[in-house]
Amino acid sequence: MFARLKKKIAEEAAIAPRPGGATRIPRSVSKESVASVGADSGDDFASDGSSSREDLSSQLFRRNEQIRKLEAKLSEYAEQVRNLQKIKEKLEIALEKHQDSSMRKFQEQNETYQANRAKMAEGMALALAKKDQEWAEKLAQLEKDKRLLTAQLQEMKNQSLNLFQKRDEIDELEGFQQQELAKVKHMLLKKEESLAKMEQEMEARTRELSHAQEELLASSQVSSNLSCELEMLQRQYSALEEQRDHLLAAETGAESKITTLEQREKELQMFIQQLSVDLQKAQGTAACSEKRLGTLQAEPESLKLENEQQNHKAAVKAEEGEKLIEHLQKKVLSLEKRLEGNLSGEEHVQELLKEKTVAEQKLDDTRQQLLAAKTSHAETVSLLETQITKLNSQVTDSHALLHEKEEFIKGLRESSLSQVKELGEMLQISDEKLKKSSEIMIEKEAQIQRLSSLAEERNKLQQQVLVLEQQYAEQGNRLEAEIAALEKTRASDETAASHQIQLLEEENANLKENRNECESSLEAHKLELKKLKEEWSQRETVNVEIAKALEETRKQREDFQQQVADLTTLIKEKEQFLNEKTKTLLQKEEEIDQLKKGHDIVLLQLHQLQSDMEACRCKKAKREESTGKELNVLRLQIEEEEEEEETLEARGEPNVIVFGETAKELSDDLYPLSSDERTLNGEVDCVDMVQLQKENRDLEQQIIEKNKTIKQLQQRMLELKKTLQKELKIRPENDIFEVREKPSPEVPTASTTVTNNSDLNDSREINFEYLKHVVLKFMSCRESEAFHLIKAVSVLLNFSQEEENMLKETLEYKMSWFGSKPSPRGSIRPSISNPRVPWS
Amino acid sequence: MGGFFSTIFSSLFGTREMRILILGLDGAGKTTILYRLQVGEVVTTIPTIGFNVETVTYKNLKFQVWDLGGQTSIRPYWRCYYSNTDAVIYVVDSCDRDRIGVSKSELVAMLEEEELRKAILVVFANKQDMEQAMTPTEMANSLGLPALKDRKWQIFKTSATKGTGLDEAMEWLVETLKSRQ
Repeated sequence: MFARLKKKIAEEAAIAPRPGGATRIPRSVSKESVASVGADSGDDFASDGSSSREDLSSQLFRRNEQIRKLEAKLSEYAEQVRNLQKIKEKLEIALEKHQDSSMRKFQEQNETYQANRAKMAEGMALALAKKDQEWAEKLAQLEKDKRLLTAQLQEMKNQSLNLFQKRDEIDELEGFQQQELAKVKHMLLKKEESLAKMEQEMEARTRELSHAQEELLASSQVSSNLSCELEMLQRQYSALEEQRDHLLAAETGAESKITTLEQREKELQMFIQQLSVDLQKAQGTAACSEKRLGTLQAEPESLKLENEQQNHKAAVKAEEGEKLIEHLQKKVLSLEKRLEGNLSGEEHVQELLKEKTVAEQKLDDTRQQLLAAKTSHAETVSLLETQITKLNSQVTDSHALLHEKEEFIKGLRESSLSQVKELGEMLQISDEKLKKSSEIMIEKEAQIQRLSSLAEERNKLQQQVLVLEQQYAEQGNRLEAEIAALEKTRASDETAASHQIQLLEEENANLKENRNECESSLEAHKLELKKLKEEWSQRETVNVEIAKALEETRKQREDFQQQVADLTTLIKEKEQFLNEKTKTLLQKEEEIDQLKKGHDIVLLQLHQLQSDMEACRCKKAKREESTGKELNVLRLQIEEEEEEEETLEARGEPNVIVFGETAKELSDDLYPLSSDERTLNGEVDCVDMVQLQKENRDLEQQIIEKNKTIKQLQQRMLELKKTLQKELKIRPENDIFEVREKPSPEVPTASTTVTNNSDLNDSREINFEYLKHVVLKFMSCRESEAFHLIKAVSVLLNFSQEEENMLKETLEYKMSWFGSKPSPRGSIRPSISNPRVPWS
Repeated sequence: MGGFFSTIFSSLFGTREMRILILGLDGAGKTTILYRLQVGEVVTTIPTIGFNVETVTYKNLKFQVWDLGGQTSIRPYWRCYYSNTDAVIYVVDSCDRDRIGVSKSELVAMLEEEELRKAILVVFANKQDMEQAMTPTEMANSLGLPALKDRKWQIFKTSATKGTGLDEAMEWLVETLKSRQ
């Protein structure tokens, strides 16, 4: 409480120097702002200065009286404290006694309990040991039994295993037997099947055989028929041969007759031929003579013709010769004339004469030749005429002969013709006979040929029959041999099968015997097993009984353990009880210590109250002085501004009065407050408490009201300052400084109302982050934005006006294209701006 | 020369950058409104220690929008940004009935600044999508707006997360800025 009061007083002292004015626009004073400021700033005792000093002195007296009262109360408290100390000592002694007694009791109880516990434990341990021994013995016995039983069990298991093995073997053997039987049966079936097949084949063969025999019989019958026919044919043949012989004899006779007849015919023919030759000769001679006659008759005619022709020719030649002679005579005449006319050419004429002689000689020759030819011709003609005459005589002779001969031939011919006719008839008859006999011969020969062919066929058939018979016989032999072989094999198979069957039956019998033996052994084993099982059940029952006994013993053991556990829990509970008691003892001791400390604190508080009282008195005096000073200042200011603002003064004075009143009330309340603190610590009446609380509330309300007035006054102060500055035309730098100071008290936090160093540090910590952000933005953002940030940066970094201006200038230079400062960029910028010139 | 060209350009195309401050207590939704205006999306934000500055183009007008952190410790630095400001968007949390007084006092202190004498005031009664939100008239009264003199102001109910009311507010702001030119 006193610390708070001190703080409040300190705050008041800080705020107090600010003069207040009440010319604020009412809308700007919100409840929130007033409340916040009031909460921060607390009471304001600056208004005390407005009240008169007399009142203050009276108040001081009152306070002094109150202080005296408080001192009296303090002495009373001191007495009370002493009484309390005595009581405390008594209580301590009583406590110690109580503690001792309780400790003793505890110790005794503990000892007895421990003794009891030890006895119980020993007894229990003995009993447990005995029971353990007994149980161990029983367990050993049981284990022995168990071992025996397990050994027996193993034996039994072995036996049963052997049995099972034997059973398996028997099963296997039975399986084998069945398999072999099946095999044998299968083989038998196969053999039977082959037999059936063979029999079928045999039947087929026998059928074929019978068929062949039938055919044989048929063929033999045919052959017998044929032989009969043969005999018949042979008889016929013999008959025919006889007839043939007869006929042959007749033939020979006929032939001889024929030959004779032919000879006669030939003789006759020869005669005829001779006759015909004679005839021909005669005819030839007749023809020749006739021809001669013809030729001879033609010859005289031709000769006559030739004669005439030759005559004619001779006449022609003669005429011609005559003509030639005439011509030549003429020529000779002409030539003689020429000779007469031309005597000069005598030689030539001579030659011509010679030629004339030659030609005359030739003429003579030719005349002679002609004459010779005429004579020859005449002789030949005479000869020929003689010959013709002779021939004519001969022809007449031959004609006569011819007639004679012709008559003879005609007779001959008639006779020969008759003879030839007779002979022809004879010939015809013989020919007919011959023809008949030859026909018969032919027929007979045909018959003979037929018979011979039939005989050949018969022979062939007989041969075929023989061949077939031989083949059949061979086939039959083969089949019989096969049948015999098959029967042999069958017999051997049957014997083998029977042998195998016998063997298998023997094996079966053996196996059955084995099985019987095994079954008997199995039964024996089963019996043994039953016995063993019975024994086992008996043992098991024994075991169960033993187990029951064991369980019972276990239960007993558990019961004992539970008892032990109960006992231990009891011990623990008692120990806990002991601990709790010791704890309570310790707590009581602590309480005693606390009481002692409280006593010391009370004493200290008393001292502090006394010191606070003194401090309050000192502060009061100081406050009186300060308020007096403030009042004076305010009065001075008010007097200065009286001309301008009379209304303000009018409002100000009542405020001051109000302040004074409140200050009085506060000073009144101060002493009761201090007394309140005292009464709170000690034994105070409830009525006083209520009164003090009421007073407190009233004081708080008053404080709020005062805060309001202080705020108003402060605002007015600011306004007054502004107006004053305007009037006095003070430089704006001061204004900025003041403005800069302004935000810190205006921030409506609880802490910023006073110039606390700690609060400043806090704001700086937050502001550092803010500064960082702002600087970052300032460096990164556009120049137009940066320009707006200059102020913020300069405020945050506490730049001076010059520094801020410098920043602004540099930024402006950067923003504009043509700066006042010469810079390396200047050479580049124009190069960018120059191209614009031609466009504009 | 550059300034000359820029003035020519601005006079020709009306593209001079308007400088707008978004102010208000911490947690009122200033940063959300800024990025809703710039990219049209709701972004997840952290408390702004410092500020955000973005260029927002609306109706052929370019705004250089400054969103200053509203935490108590950095509120005093707002005054560093007041110079050459065309408009102030003051964002108030419609649901925060406890701190509306604080908001009012901050608003009043701000409006008393000489540098903001010509600035247009737009109050965003934000977070209207919440159930317990105050009505704009209620808020205007509790902020003491009707008592303002020599000041063009308007209050709009907005919701930055839903995007309602922002267009109307910006429309009004653009119209007033144009008429003032």
